[in-house]
Amino acid sequence: MNLPEPLAQISWLSVLVFSPLAAAAVAAVLRSERAVRWWTLAATLAVAAASVPVALGFDPTTPAFQFVEDRPWIPFLGARYTLGVDGLSLVLVLLTTGILPLCVLASWRYITTRVREFMLGLLVMETAMVGVFCALDFVLFFLFWEAMLVPMALLIGVWGGPRRVYAALKFFIYTMAGSVFLLVAIVALYLMTGTFDLRALMGRGYPLAVQVWVFLAFFVSFAIKVPMVPFHTWLPAAHVEAPTAGSVILASVLLKMGTYGFLRLSLPITPDATRLLAPYLTWLSVAALVYGGLTALAQSDLKKLVAYSSVGHMGFATLGIFTLTRAGLEGAVLQMINHGITTGALFICVGLLYERLHTRELGAAAGVGKHVPVFAGFFGVFVLSSMAFPGTNSFIGEFLALAGAFEASRPVALAAVPGVVLAAAYLLRMLQKVAYGSPHNPDHAGVTDLTLREGLTLAPLLGLVFWIGLHPAPLVRLFAASVQHLLEQTLGPAAVPPAAGP
Amino acid sequence: MSSFWLHPALVMLAGAALLPLVPERARRGWLLLVPALAFARTLGLEPGTWGEVRFLDWTLVFGRVDRLSLVFGYILALMAVLATLYGLHVRRVGEHVAAWVYAGGSLGVIYAGDLVTLFVFWELMALASVFLIWYRGRPESLGAGYRYLLVHLAGGVALLAGIVLHYQATRSLAFEALAVDRPTLATYLVMTGFILNAAVPPLHAWLPDAYGEATFNGSVFLCAFTTKTAVYALARGLPGLDLLVPLGVIMAVYGVVYAVLENDSRRLLAYHIISQVGYMVAGVGLADLDTPVGQLALNGACAHAFAHILYKGLLFMGTGAVLHMTGESRFTRLGGLYPKMPWTFLFTLIGGLSISAFPLFSGFISKSMIVTASFEDHRLWAGFGLMLASAGTFLHTGLKVPYFIWFGENRCSRETWERAADPGWNMTLAMLLTAALCVFIGCYTPYLYGMLPFQPVTYQPYTSYHVAETLQVLLFTALGFFLFLKKLTPEPTISLDTDWFYRRGGRAFLRLAEGPVRALDAWWGELYRRAGLAGLVRAAREARWFDQSLIDGAVDGLAAAVRAGGERLRSLQRAHVQESLWVALAVTALGLVGLLLYRAW
Repeated sequence: MNLPEPLAQISWLSVLVFSPLAAAAVAAVLRSERAVRWWTLAATLAVAAASVPVALGFDPTTPAFQFVEDRPWIPFLGARYTLGVDGLSLVLVLLTTGILPLCVLASWRYITTRVREFMLGLLVMETAMVGVFCALDFVLFFLFWEAMLVPMALLIGVWGGPRRVYAALKFFIYTMAGSVFLLVAIVALYLMTGTFDLRALMGRGYPLAVQVWVFLAFFVSFAIKVPMVPFHTWLPAAHVEAPTAGSVILASVLLKMGTYGFLRLSLPITPDATRLLAPYLTWLSVAALVYGGLTALAQSDLKKLVAYSSVGHMGFATLGIFTLTRAGLEGAVLQMINHGITTGALFICVGLLYERLHTRELGAAAGVGKHVPVFAGFFGVFVLSSMAFPGTNSFIGEFLALAGAFEASRPVALAAVPGVVLAAAYLLRMLQKVAYGSPHNPDHAGVTDLTLREGLTLAPLLGLVFWIGLHPAPLVRLFAASVQHLLEQTLGPAAVPPAAGP
Repeated sequence: MSSFWLHPALVMLAGAALLPLVPERARRGWLLLVPALAFARTLGLEPGTWGEVRFLDWTLVFGRVDRLSLVFGYILALMAVLATLYGLHVRRVGEHVAAWVYAGGSLGVIYAGDLVTLFVFWELMALASVFLIWYRGRPESLGAGYRYLLVHLAGGVALLAGIVLHYQATRSLAFEALAVDRPTLATYLVMTGFILNAAVPPLHAWLPDAYGEATFNGSVFLCAFTTKTAVYALARGLPGLDLLVPLGVIMAVYGVVYAVLENDSRRLLAYHIISQVGYMVAGVGLADLDTPVGQLALNGACAHAFAHILYKGLLFMGTGAVLHMTGESRFTRLGGLYPKMPWTFLFTLIGGLSISAFPLFSGFISKSMIVTASFEDHRLWAGFGLMLASAGTFLHTGLKVPYFIWFGENRCSRETWERAADPGWNMTLAMLLTAALCVFIGCYTPYLYGMLPFQPVTYQPYTSYHVAETLQVLLFTALGFFLFLKKLTPEPTISLDTDWFYRRGGRAFLRLAEGPVRALDAWWGELYRRAGLAGLVRAAREARWFDQSLIDGAVDGLAAAVRAGGERLRSLQRAHVQESLWVALAVTALGLVGLLLYRAW
């Protein structure tokens, strides 16, 4: 950790985790809707600003956890309040704190009823999400993991679309069912080792049978979260019915918790089981890739299309993870970040379109691009990025993931290629329809182009698309050491070739 | 990386980039200022190697300044000033931008010290100059511009291939003289790229095609830059390559022959560029730099390039003025314009006399260096061939062009006659300055000779023998012209040149593409649509059905089943709270008893 004194004295992670909660407490007593909106925007921006010193002070050369805080919490359980970040968690924390202000901006005019409660929900969610990424104690981890379910379900269930209650319940029950298995695994590990500390649980060399059961328990929970086929059906419902900000948070952050769980928990704690089952999971990921692509191709609802594209993209991420190669893992982490940026942006775009057209049907949106050229420009870039067009951010991630897959098993890589083609197919079809349509487009006479606020919401994401696409090195450097260490933990130190030069 | 060195090309390129932003009132000042600044910069350059930039594994050299590049840079920058002055009244900003980018690219080639920089600026020249053709806006201009661009890009590809092979062989990218005594494929490919830009037959047909079709001031730029930059490149990279001597001589005669046949005055001048560049190419071919003869030849090539830029520019300015004022450039539609455009006539005449190497004009002191060098090198056929071309030159450019435009039978239409007048102040001033320079260079030889690469220049053009010989050739040519005046009257003709091959070939290729290739593509597309796309869409629909009905059906079905079970169970409850409590307690008690019994077992 390289921060100058007195900055080094501050418990940055606790600040990051709990300041949204404090801001929520303040927002609860604010009177006017306008004040609530501005206060939430200011608070999320302040948290984003607070994550900058953490990023700057982070030492990328070591995989050890940094900014560690360790305090007693529940002595009779043995649970401690332990927070810490390594490269992997850091980039996800940055993603979370960065995307929340944009969610607030995207909800500015979208949410018209119960604005204060909505912003409260966003802030509480931010606490929970950052907490998940920073927690190094299993009880704390599980607490934050569960804590994000309720606000999310409320976000969907109160401010969502026509079938919001169905979607919210489905999301809640699905995820909770998975979390039950996670809880069982946590308790089992505690009973075996007597500790809840994640760092102590890693690399213990449990017997293989135990590892397999624990891995499977983790797997159910995380696979539902990612989501991996066939545990994915909550995603389309939740995404379609959620409000824009809810979809963005869901896509950008919540889905990453599943893959984060794999990386933080499954790989280091149950390495032998991971190595044993990884080949099957790569095939499952490829199935998700192709299946997500096929179903997306069949959709006519814009939001559902993007939701299924998420299934496909996260298939790339899990593919990268389970190849257990450096390229694959780096690609997976990059893919997580890039998917957060790109799909978040796509959901914002679809939300903007919905605000204007009051429909999400692709046919109804045909040819609107001519009336909203600025929007079409942004949309086009994000679609290209989603398709992993070279020069945009997703290209690097998918390329590395495929390279890892190629290294691990050539048939898997070859089977993944149709998924890439499918992605191009449904995304370009969507872009073509929205931007140009056909000679018989519906009448879009009154549709207005992006306002300044909406442009400001999308502009940082656009910048990130190109910055990461053309110059990914600084970002990759942040988590490269952690990935290397993770590989060593999973494969054993001798099996991992040393890192190439910068 | 050395500290920042201001490249003259950078001045032109920056000026071009900023020109659209300059307000209309200040535009003329900007147009005069930027080339003047670039010219001043070339005057202030110190010999040496400047502007080195590290790029990947290589060191790019942007500023290789020595006597050879100084003389070319000087005249090209000066020409940029004069040509911009000539076109000062053109309103369309894009034309000026294109011309300046073109000139900047040319200066970039002149000072390039390595092959990568050379190539980049080479291509930049082609891409910028095509706009000078397209801006003419006639229906023919589009096709002419495309042919120009395609030919130049093909030449660029040949050049690039040569550079790559050269790099593979020598691992060096320095733009120095290639080994000409043992020419390799790389040498020939580089030569092909250079001679295409120099318009050496058979790769020359783009020149009359394009230069006759460009805008009236665009041609002034075009005639100066591309070919002379190619001559510089030949002089730098391939001095003494023997193949260039016959190529140059054939060029000189070829250009003259076709020029005689031409009806359009600017196409005639364009063919004549080929002829004059032939002198320079032959000079470069003779330039075996270790011998005094070779040095004389290279000096001659540089001097001729210098003089040629000026007088060719002047000629294009004159005929361009006629085109601009009357809208006509063909001899069959002009004639007898002297009363209306006397000054233009005077300047064009000076240009014509310069190009014919009349004593006291610039061509005299430069062309003769090359001819003398070829005789000194005992290549008699080369020397006589070049002298023959001289005669032809005077015939058409010195005599035919001025005579059939400004004198002779007046074949102007009414409209042409009405519009004819001497052009505006800027065009007249540009022509005046250029003409004055032509005369000055011809009369005061140390001015040009002092700039040549190989010093001291001992060659003396004004010997009584040489003056007498030249006057003999020229005056007998004039006699022949006036005797055969009737035969030389222009007729509306189109000369077939080597571009016939690629224009016809292009049409044949298009027929191939529209016929068999398109049919094949349509068949393949139909196959793809039937077998591929339809199958894909069907698979997509089935995946969606699987997702919604099967998986979701199972999940929703499970939830529905649970709820149905709950409904059933609820019917067991009745409203009484106490009853529910008793039931709950009873079940718990039973459970505990069962557990105790089990443990005790």
